Parts: sequence; C-alpha cells; structure tokens
Amino acid sequence: MTEQGTTHVIEVTINGRLYSRTVEARQLLVHFLRDTLDLTGTHIGCDTGSCGACSIILNGKLVKSCMMLAPQADGAVIETVEGLANDGELNPLQESFSRNHGLQCGYCTPGMLMAGTYLLRENPNPTEEEIRRGIKGNICRCTGYVNIVRSIMDVAGGHGAEQADGIVGEEQR
Amino acid sequence: MLLKSVNYVRPESVTEALDILSSNEGAAPLAGGQSLTNVLKHRVASVDLLVDISALGELRTITRAGDGSLEVGACVTYDEIDHSPDVRAGHAILARESSHIEDQQIRNRGTIGGNCCLSDPTNNLPPLLVALDATMNIRAVGGTRHVAAEDFFKGYFLTALEPGELLVSITIPPIPVGGGAGYVSLSVATDSKTIVRAAARVRVDGVIEEVRVVLARVASVPIRHHAMEEALRGVAPTAELVRAAAELIGSDVEPIADGHGSSDYRRKMARVVARRAVLAAIEEGGRK
Repeated sequence: MTEQGTTHVIEVTINGRLYSRTVEARQLLVHFLRDTLDLTGTHIGCDTGSCGACSIILNGKLVKSCMMLAPQADGAVIETVEGLANDGELNPLQESFSRNHGLQCGYCTPGMLMAGTYLLRENPNPTEEEIRRGIKGNICRCTGYVNIVRSIMDVAGGHGAEQADGIVGEEQR
Repeated sequence: MLLKSVNYVRPESVTEALDILSSNEGAAPLAGGQSLTNVLKHRVASVDLLVDISALGELRTITRAGDGSLEVGACVTYDEIDHSPDVRAGHAILARESSHIEDQQIRNRGTIGGNCCLSDPTNNLPPLLVALDATMNIRAVGGTRHVAAEDFFKGYFLTALEPGELLVSITIPPIPVGGGAGYVSLSVATDSKTIVRAAARVRVDGVIEEVRVVLARVASVPIRHHAMEEALRGVAPTAELVRAAAELIGSDVEPIADGHGSSDYRRKMARVVARRAVLAAIEEGGRK
C-alpha cells in the first residue's frame, strides 16, 4: 500500500527516461508534466476533460492528463508528443500533419498527434469515420478537422491512404 | 485548476480499501476519475482522502458463468467492456453501448462502477443495467449485500450505497432464449449528452412473454414504465401494438426541461425511443 498522505514520491518513465519526483496528491498529471518536468509539449486547453489538448499515452492507453492526479501515474510508462520525433526528425504522422496542413494555430496538435498515434496502433487501416470517431475527444477550433483527418489517413495503410489520395486529388482539380 | 489539498492512498486489496473507507469519514473511492477529478477541481464536493481503487485486480475482472450470466468488476473500463469476448458473446448490447460513451480517452479510464455510482441521469449504463435486470454487488467491512439495479439508483447523484460501502461488481443475468435487448438514445450529438433514452429487454415466444422498458432522462433516475410493459405482456410482437403501448407514456412522466428540450418534447421523444428500443429488442430476439 502507498502511504496515506498529501505528498507522494512517484516514479514515471516518460519517453524512455525515468523520472522520480515528490508530488502533491492534488497535482494534476498535466501540471506534473508541464510545470514539474518542463515537458511543455503537452498542452492544457480546457482543464475539464473536454478538449483533449492534454492527451498522452499512459501504459499504452490514450488518456487526458488533466483528468488524472500525478500520484495515479506512479509506475506508469508515458508517451508524450516530445517522444514522437526521432533526433529532431519528424515521424511520419508529424510529417503528414505538416504536409497536409493538419494544423493552423497548433494548440490542439500535441493531443491530435497522440490521438492519431493511438488510433493507428489500434487500427492501422481506419476508415474516415473511424478516424473521426478516434479524434472525437480532441477539439480543434481552426481547421474544421478536414485536414487533420486527411493527415491521419495519409499515413494509414490500405484503403485509408487511397481515400486520402482521393480527397487530395479532388481538391487539386 | 488547483484542487484543494487532499490525501491520497492506494490500497492493495478491497479489504484494505474497505478498512480505510469505513474508518475515515471524509474518504471517497477514486476509480477512473473521469467525473470525480472535475468535481474536485470545482471544489463542489469535499473529499479529505482519495482511496484509489482503480488498479485493484479484484475489481478488474470479467467472468461469464456456466449459465451465461456475466459478472463485471466495478473498475473495468468502458474500452475493456467493449473489447471483451465474454461480454460480446452474450451481452453484445453492453459492449456496443460502452463503445459509444463520450470519447476514446474517457473510455480508456472511465469504469462501469463509476458510471453507476455517480448516478448522473445522463450516464449511459444505468438504464441499460436496469433493463437487463442487473444486480449490484456491494461490500462493506461487515459483509456483502446485493441490490437490484432497479433499486440502486435513488436520485440525482445518489445511490443505495451507505457510507463505507463499495460497489465491487455487477452481475447481469443471461438474456433468455427468444429474448433480446434494445437501447435507443436521442442525443445532442454523436456519443454525447443524451436528451432522452430508452432501454428494453423482451422475451418472445409467439407473444411477448417478458418485457422491461426503462426510460432515462425523464426523471432523476432510470424508471421502468410499468403501464407500457403491462400493455405489451401477452400480445403479438408487432410494430402497431408496440406503437400503441408506447403511447401510454403520458402525463405520468414529467421530464425536466432544459436548453435541449422542453418537458413536453422529452415526453414525446420518450415514446419514440421507447418504441424503437422495444422493436430493436424484439428483432434481436428473433435473430437468435
């Protein structure tokens, strides 16, 4: 049993690196990432679990980090947007967001990228509807979602890629 | 937002959790936290000690018994229910409706027990569990008791749980031969807050032998509509007769009014979703 208390020592592996810190029990996980560890790639949009900007992958599951307390993450393996690029090289999904204008102001992008990453792991060949359902927990106020959906489709295998080609080709005409 | 300072503890067993809950007046169980975390942010409830039960293995199992009944641990997430072969095999409707709760992030954390214990009238699972005649298995330091889902939901954010008690699992009986279940919601948008919904379970053997019709969002808790059930018992499972029975939803039901619909609108839509839920249940029963 963890000792009962208002502060706890937690150990968390984030993007392959182990962190050990003392946290207040009331600290939200997103604040732990941003304020304690200075991993500010994960954004805070609404702070009420509605917008998805703070989405991360925790123990393989996409979650909103504003809807968890830091001590709940003790022992967890976490992936954040900072872990996507390899030595400064954008990964294929990030590259696709750039190529397809899947972002404008960029505020929702970290959450969208993590939601897209999770979706493609669970379902490598999503249909457009599956992509739209997969990012339902993430709000974007700029793009109208069309280019975000296209960005995810463009890196998906099989019919997803064909559909994305279809959308792009049609608009170019 | 900054929460009020709070104590946190992660017990290693249900027994340990019950000891803590019963000996600390300000203690509250923390499961998926997809509602409680916001409640704490807004400081609308005062909790001195959060007892994190979300990782307790005892609360995270799904078992299908020989008779086809299903027992789902209180801390099983919606996503796990959706993907469980045991749930899909005999209670596909529970898997399907779990897959339509809010969004992927919430389905990865939110739990069936939390969905019930919050007793928010817009929550997805309470009306379904009442329609399926589920039993809530509740433990306290002194022992275990069982409460029918129908008697578990007591009011807005209020359940039959007494201080120190913990919902540990939910047992759902098998859907009988010739039986089926239906669930229809009228919602603001896809997989979002519901305006009114209905869940039904029927068993047909030539005529409708058994029927349960549950309406949600027309009262503070899911309610069975006994007059509609009575009208359906013993009659042929035809669209006309189901429609006529749904028309009995009248002034006995007084739904709330809000920005999404007046009381009268909700009452009229309750007839529509109730009819469709019963027809879906009849159709599912006929396919088996």
